[in-house]
Amino acid sequence: MHEWALAEAVVASVDRILQEHSGKRVLAVHVRVGELQRIELEVFRQGLAIHLEERPYGEEVFHLETDPASFRCNHCAREWLLEGVPGLGEDELEAIHFLPEAAHVYMRCPGCGSPDFALQSGRGVRIASVDLGGQE
Amino acid sequence: MIDPRLDIIRKRLDPVRRILVFAGAKGGVGKSFCTAVTAVELARRGLHTAVLDMDFQGASAHLFLGAELGFPEEEAGIKPLRVGANLELMSFAAFSGERPVPLRGEGVREAMLELLAITIWPPLGFLLVDMPPGIGDELLDLLRYLHRGEFVVVATGSRVVVQVVSRLLELLRSLDAPLLGVVENMTKTSPQTEAKKPPQTEPAGVTGGGFGEPVESMCARFDTTVLARLPFVPDLDSRLPLVESLDGTLGREVRALADALTRGLAAPAMPPSA
Repeated sequence: MHEWALAEAVVASVDRILQEHSGKRVLAVHVRVGELQRIELEVFRQGLAIHLEERPYGEEVFHLETDPASFRCNHCAREWLLEGVPGLGEDELEAIHFLPEAAHVYMRCPGCGSPDFALQSGRGVRIASVDLGGQE
Repeated sequence: MIDPRLDIIRKRLDPVRRILVFAGAKGGVGKSFCTAVTAVELARRGLHTAVLDMDFQGASAHLFLGAELGFPEEEAGIKPLRVGANLELMSFAAFSGERPVPLRGEGVREAMLELLAITIWPPLGFLLVDMPPGIGDELLDLLRYLHRGEFVVVATGSRVVVQVVSRLLELLRSLDAPLLGVVENMTKTSPQTEAKKPPQTEPAGVTGGGFGEPVESMCARFDTTVLARLPFVPDLDSRLPLVESLDGTLGREVRALADALTRGLAAPAMPPSA
């Protein structure tokens, strides 16, 4: 349930943005959820609901979209997607779920076997945009 | 893209009264050892203490403390690993075990932000941050994101070490980072025996861990103090974990260090929260 901690962080960001734009209201929050972290969206939404108490915006403004994880080898320049990674066990996936950088511990470039790769997209939770409306 | 973790880190650290950053710039000076013995002593005094091992690639705090690795418990975040009474730990090793962690700078930054954002610390008297060698990514990110850190710099009596550690002190001074003082580690003589000896004219060896002079001079140059002088422990491996082995000169010096830290000795005024 560490999804709740990330959900709380998203709410904190929206609160800050709202404070910076006094008098505006939140119309939509577009959240990109990285595939690599394997966030359970239902649990994440529960976390949002818990942390939205007494906020002037509700859960309905949040739009969650999964961001596919892609990698590029720094050694041989090969690019690949998470779905093409074989052999990750439950423990390895759980470690990456907690801390996506654990991917560098358990994954290798499928081309040359190097652990020296870059995560190009789909790491974790980011806010793509916050749409604000006129005066409340 | 907005990184929401940056908006929650300050709140995550609210339950922490003081954050002490053990840094040393030079590898092998014993930052993890000094962090661990300080944590053990503070916990022994009943002060709830946690260690955050920021040395992702060379994590060793769990070895010094005898922590059992495993995935952290989840509770609206992740809980640090329980090491003993009043003593907790968060480390990349909880997720990697003893496997190698080949991370580039961006990965180090991401992992640091993630741990700071999702770790739910209990009310703590002290959070001790064990830093890796160098003045690169980890230190710069820590200075950027961990606003309340007070630095404890670790050195040995080696002139080479002092030269490298001086650069760290120079950087901290230029950034107005709060500096509590310097721990001289791996001393080969104790303050007591040193007082009985005639004045020392030979310089300390390059790897030697001598006693006093180079570190004293460095501290004088940077207007700071030696907080404690921890002795070289030749049988360190056989004394791990450290939880019950802080006796003799080591125990005495660690208590002196804890006294200094809990008194807030030389503690500069904290910069106002941004």
